[in-house]
Amino acid sequence: MSKDAKQLWEGYKARELAVIKPILQKLGFELADEQPHLGGERYLMQAVTTQSGKKLILIGHRVSDGKKVVIKTAAEPAGKRELRHERRCRQVLKEIGFAYQVFFSPEEIIFTERDGRLISIQAFIEQEKTFLERPLKEQFDFALKAFKAQESAHATTYKHVRIIERTFGSMGADGYLHLGKTFNIDTAAREFLEKNKNTIDQYCGFLTHTDFVPHNFRIKDGTMYLLDHSSLRFGNKYEGWARFINFMELHNPPLAAALVQYVRDNRTQEELLALKCMRIYRLGEIIWYYRNTLPQSTGDLLKLNEARVHFWSEALKAVSNDREVPFATIESYKKTRDTLRSEDEKRRQVGLH
Amino acid sequence: MRLVLVSPLYPPDVAWPAPYVKELAKRLAKEHIVTIVTYGHLPEQVPDVKIIAIDKRRPLILRLIAYVVALWRATRNADLVYAQNGPSVELPLAIVNFFLQRPLVMQWGDTPAHEYAQKHFSRRAIERAAFAHAKVITDAPSAKPEILPLEPRPDAALAEWERSWNTHLQSLKKEFQNV
Repeated sequence: MSKDAKQLWEGYKARELAVIKPILQKLGFELADEQPHLGGERYLMQAVTTQSGKKLILIGHRVSDGKKVVIKTAAEPAGKRELRHERRCRQVLKEIGFAYQVFFSPEEIIFTERDGRLISIQAFIEQEKTFLERPLKEQFDFALKAFKAQESAHATTYKHVRIIERTFGSMGADGYLHLGKTFNIDTAAREFLEKNKNTIDQYCGFLTHTDFVPHNFRIKDGTMYLLDHSSLRFGNKYEGWARFINFMELHNPPLAAALVQYVRDNRTQEELLALKCMRIYRLGEIIWYYRNTLPQSTGDLLKLNEARVHFWSEALKAVSNDREVPFATIESYKKTRDTLRSEDEKRRQVGLH
Repeated sequence: MRLVLVSPLYPPDVAWPAPYVKELAKRLAKEHIVTIVTYGHLPEQVPDVKIIAIDKRRPLILRLIAYVVALWRATRNADLVYAQNGPSVELPLAIVNFFLQRPLVMQWGDTPAHEYAQKHFSRRAIERAAFAHAKVITDAPSAKPEILPLEPRPDAALAEWERSWNTHLQSLKKEFQNV
């Protein structure tokens, strides 16, 4: 584990907590003793596809009535920008009337700036069970409903494009190919994306959540609450599908297979191809991400991140060849991961998905 | 027959009447020469169907002019125009058909747009100008049932969908002949 990165994070965390606690008290909130979002590998994480800034995500409660809340706070300009961007995305989504009947946001309780810190407090959404604890069919139905809601927002008019580009940002085929080069994905995969540039472009201009995975939404009484609005953008219709399906290749392969089968049975051949392109692109990104963590990792974390690079490279091979990731590869990786994960990280993972 | 299908939406757009127009073109192309004039960037292709798509990302006035030109070229040698309603096609259609006077059949594919036009004078006037002499089709096929991987294949629903298309094509054929 990189002592530098870890120590920097620990220092940042301690300083910020010391400042934020009294501010929260004045606002009428108290922090919980357990803070799951501060431990484990949190310090290594950074979003690579959306605006990214340093921030703390804390759990607490309102003193007056005990209401459980999520507190996001940032002191640095990039972190503040991210919080403001996320709020603006929530508002614009409402204004343009897109997909809002499906994606609900947790109630915003406070959004304010105090002592140079931006503080966003939202209601905590208690869910009866995590997404992966639900029956397969329920998982499939929720995922499909969410993807259809995203797809219903197509930036087809000049007016929409202007509102959208200003707020969410948008990405076309050139952007995907450019980032594909940055991710340094293998030659065959890169050539495949370049060859299918038109197909990627054909399905661009749709609302898509680039990090649509279970820890970014919660389900309560059949309603889906989106926790992270900063990863919404207008891009390829299958980018969100791709991120979700790649994630499920590891966490729930039958769900990944069912979603691919759905596209095969109900969508056009071009759409199936667009999905494959996006899966390759997103796998290239995750491999690049973990490769970048290697210089900052030592000991067990280095071994784990090497195993991650290997696993996702195997997944890339499988997707490129229109195969599912072999069961043995998944199981072997999971075993390695569970052996190498720190206790802190294991705690952070409990109930996350 | 040489048919021109006029639609404000076409796949990859997902909203109605986009999927209907694509499926219709696929089926009509077996017997007719079909051209679609629509809006879009990279439309999904259909074998033996010519698709002219005007980029919606252009400013309003430019895309309307481009649509008028494209519709004029497609319609001047056509035997019949079959149009879906919607403000973005009604104005070009009113202009082009004022001069070319082609037989016109239409369907209220975009009901909210039609309802909106009823409440707004200028939109209602454009809609009337576009469809003043059009034969109106009310019949429509059912939406295609989805094949869901964790459920039994909906064979009965798919057969019903196929039947609804056959009925729809029969009524279209009748209207096309009567115009």
